[in-house]
This record gives sequence, C-alpha cells and structure tokens, in this order.
Amino acid sequence: MSVTTTAAGFTQASFNRFLALRDEPAWLRELRSDAWQKFLALPMPSQRDEEWMRTDIRTLRLEKFGFPSDAPATGAAPNGLLTHGVDLGGQTIAIDSRPHTARLNEKWAAKGVLFGSLDELVASHGEIVKKHLFRAFTPGYDRFAALHAAAWSGGTLLYVPRGVVVDEPFHMLSALTSGGVDLGHTLVILEDGAEATLLAETSSLAEGGAGLHMGGIELLVGPRARLRYVNFQNWSAGVWHFAHQKALVDSDASLQWTIAALGAKLAKVNQHVALTGPGATAQVNGVMFTEGKQHLAYNTLQHHEASQCRSDLLYKAALQDDSRTVWRGMIRVDEGAQKTDGYQRNDNLMLSEHSRSDSIPGLEILADDVRCTHGSTTGRVDDEQLFYARCRGLTRKEAVRMVVTGFFQQVFDRITIESVREALGLAIARRIREYE
Amino acid sequence: MSEFHAVAKVSDVPDPGKMLVEIDDQLVVLVHCDGAFYAIDDVCTHDGGPLGEGELVGCTLACPRHGAKFDVKTGAALTMPATKPTGTHEVKVEGDTILIKLRES
Repeated sequence: MSVTTTAAGFTQASFNRFLALRDEPAWLRELRSDAWQKFLALPMPSQRDEEWMRTDIRTLRLEKFGFPSDAPATGAAPNGLLTHGVDLGGQTIAIDSRPHTARLNEKWAAKGVLFGSLDELVASHGEIVKKHLFRAFTPGYDRFAALHAAAWSGGTLLYVPRGVVVDEPFHMLSALTSGGVDLGHTLVILEDGAEATLLAETSSLAEGGAGLHMGGIELLVGPRARLRYVNFQNWSAGVWHFAHQKALVDSDASLQWTIAALGAKLAKVNQHVALTGPGATAQVNGVMFTEGKQHLAYNTLQHHEASQCRSDLLYKAALQDDSRTVWRGMIRVDEGAQKTDGYQRNDNLMLSEHSRSDSIPGLEILADDVRCTHGSTTGRVDDEQLFYARCRGLTRKEAVRMVVTGFFQQVFDRITIESVREALGLAIARRIREYE
Repeated sequence: MSEFHAVAKVSDVPDPGKMLVEIDDQLVVLVHCDGAFYAIDDVCTHDGGPLGEGELVGCTLACPRHGAKFDVKTGAALTMPATKPTGTHEVKVEGDTILIKLRES
C-alpha cells in the first residue's frame, strides 16, 4: 500500500506546492486561495466557544498531517460493509484523499448521470461543478471548514439530471492509511424530479492507525427530487474526524439522511438540513456506538426556511467504557415558514458507569403557526429486562445484546435500505462487550 | 500496562502551583501543594470544563466554568455542581524529576 500523504504540515509553502501540483481552472484556484487566507486568519476553535465547549481538541497536532500528494492511490482496495448483495449503479474509492477507483454503470451514464472523483470531473465537467460547489458549504464557518475548502482533494460528485430515476445505489468508500489525511468533498446534485441513493462509508486500512479527516458534504436536492444518503463513519480509533455537512432540500423534494458513527478517536460533525422550498421533507437518522475513549460530537440543525416543510430527526447512541457523545440539536423556523412540522429526538443508552452523554435539544421559532417538538432520553440497561430475559434461559451477554438491538431497532426500522440495516446491526452486535 | 512518564522538573512547579502536562494524547493537571505532587484529569465531572485553568487554593482546585471544587489528593468532588470524583494518577519524584503514571482505564 502506498502512502500518498506528505506530512509537511499545513504551511504556506506546502499550500503553494499543493496548488502548483494541481492542474485546475482559475476559478477553483481562486476559491482555494481565498479559503487558505481564511484558514490563516481564523483562530483554532477552543473550549471557550459554545459549539466546542464539550469537545477538547487541545491535543490535536495539525502539523503531524499535511496536504494530500498528487500521486494516484494504488494497492488493493478495501471492502465496503454496506454493499453486500447490492447491485451498484457505480462506485468510487479513494485512499488518503486520492482517487483509486471510479466506475459508473453505462446505462446511467447514457442518461446523463455523472458519478466519479470530483477531482477528475472538475476537469471534464467544470461548469456543473462551478455552478454548484460550495452552495451548501461555508468556507469561513471555522478554521477547519476553511482548511477543507482550501485543500479538498479526491472526493465524489454525483449528478443526476432532471427526471432521471436511478434505482441502483451508488457507493463511495474513503480509506485512510496510518497517518493519512482524508480531505474528500462530496457534492451531490439532484435536478428536478431526479431520484438516487448514495451509500458512503469510511474505513482505516490499519487497525488503530492515526489519521485526519476534514471533510465536507453538500447535498443539493432539487424540486420534487428524492435522495437517500447514508454516511457510515467507521475509521479506526486513532482518527480525528471533522466534518461540515449540509443539505438544501427544495420544494416538494425529500431527503432521507442516515448517519452512522462507530469509529474515530474524536469526531466533531456539523449536520445541517435546510428546507428551502415549500413542501420539502427531511428524515434524519443517527446511529452511534462508542467504546474506549472515543468522543463523538454532533451539532445538528434542521432549518425550516419555507412553509409546509417537515423534518424528523432521530439520533440514538449507545456508549461503552469511557466514551462520550455530545448532541446539540436545533430546529430553526424562519418567520415565513408557517405550517412547519419539526421533530427531533435523541436517545442514549449508557452501557458503562464511566461513559457520558450530553444531549442538548433546542428550538428557535419565529413563525406562529407551527408544530415543533423535541425529546431526549438517557438511561442504563434496565435490570428488570435483563432479569426477565435471563429467566428465559438467555445469558447475560445475550440479554444485553438483545436490549441494545432493541434500542436501535426504532431507528433501523426507519432505514429503508436492507443492506445498510444489516451491516449496521452486525457491526454493533460485534462490539457489545460482556457486562457484569 | 501504563508506565511512568517524566513530565517536569520539581523546580518547574512552585508550591502551591499547577501545570498542564500531556501524556499519550491525554491532558493531566500536575499540582504541587502541601509539599507533595498530585495529578488529576483536566476534566470537571460536571460539564467537562478544563480544571487546569481553574483556581488552586491549598489542595483544592476549582473549575473555571461553574466553580465546582475538587480535592487534588483524591480527585473527590467537594462542592456542587460536580457530584462525581475526577480521575487521579500516580505521581513520583526521582531526584528533581516528576513522573506520572496514567491510571488504567
């Protein structure tokens, strides 16, 4: 396996070298340079910022990492977990932010669908990328967003033209070598009435290997379009994961967005769904299972910008050992967004005495004719349920596994893709330890 | 198995005094008080606040966020809003070097 990252830190000299090695149009170079200036000007997030108050990144050493090289990724591709038994419409694989594989079923290509490495498609379909890139990404949001905007590399573009319905899922796999950097940018564009499913997952090639993911995801769902998007974060326990993810859902369009997170040493994710046209619908599902000293922090925003939209968020987390999760969720309803129906819920199952979960739901409502509700629960496995199961011949471990599976069932029931339900169920069942 | 890590010189930390040290990607507050050295997690058990930035009075360290106080000798939470002890680590002094061994998790 080749290591394709050069760890020279994120310095002016290494940025200049990175830029010089990339053969990109002027507009993109300008975008990168502007973002780089923002990166230099912005401070590192600190625990004095409300958003970072519960997420301690003082031991992050950015200088240990660096820009991705320009060399193509080589070596054997890792296997994905989400695609078992699925006929794919196309697949992209990247290692250390460098394109490894990109293939698209010809029948979809013939209908005008684009799917492949964003790096490569900028060269061949620059106008489409230029029109949409960063419509749902704010390079100046914080220092990490700025670095991503300046240094994104590899990544994936999915573009489905007006009215095209793709009934085979696309798959995207991002892998990291030990010490590697993933700066992949995902851009999904569904035009009017288009339909597609994208299954994205991450994987570390070295067990416990260090790494840095600084990612960005943009989901642009046009009027009456339907997108199902799954994002399974499965890095090793040595990886720092920072991500800015945003969807724009236009009128009468629908988005089903499932996030699963099992990996990373520390993850800080901003997941933002903006309902921009009347009648838009978004269902957001979250599944987290943590162990060791993992820290996963999710900031979610359901932003109702238009009237008669519906959003429904359900995040469920189970925590083992000394791990920690933080969820800060907000439903924001703009003044004109009447007849909004917004819901958010976060449930946490504590499987050990030293795990910790912070759950902070919030509502900001400026309209006066809406229905917005939220809820949060945190608790241990119920001893009576365990006793009941053991009376019927199950061992303690079997009983705990059954309770944990049951806990997640509510969110699995909402995931409409069978291979994803099965892969997540299996991955979680494998992780459950023996508890006294 | 964790081992002892040399983190500072005795002369680096006055009595009373404290300093933040990093061991294996973990931040620990090294405290010098009552003539001895102690090490506790840099984490308030109430809200995760950075104890190393708090005020040390005798052998009591107060969280800078909400004022919860901890006994640096035992990690015990002495006042609300913290109710659970913070983690402690073993400290020894060899010559003029202070060494810390992270507790097993």
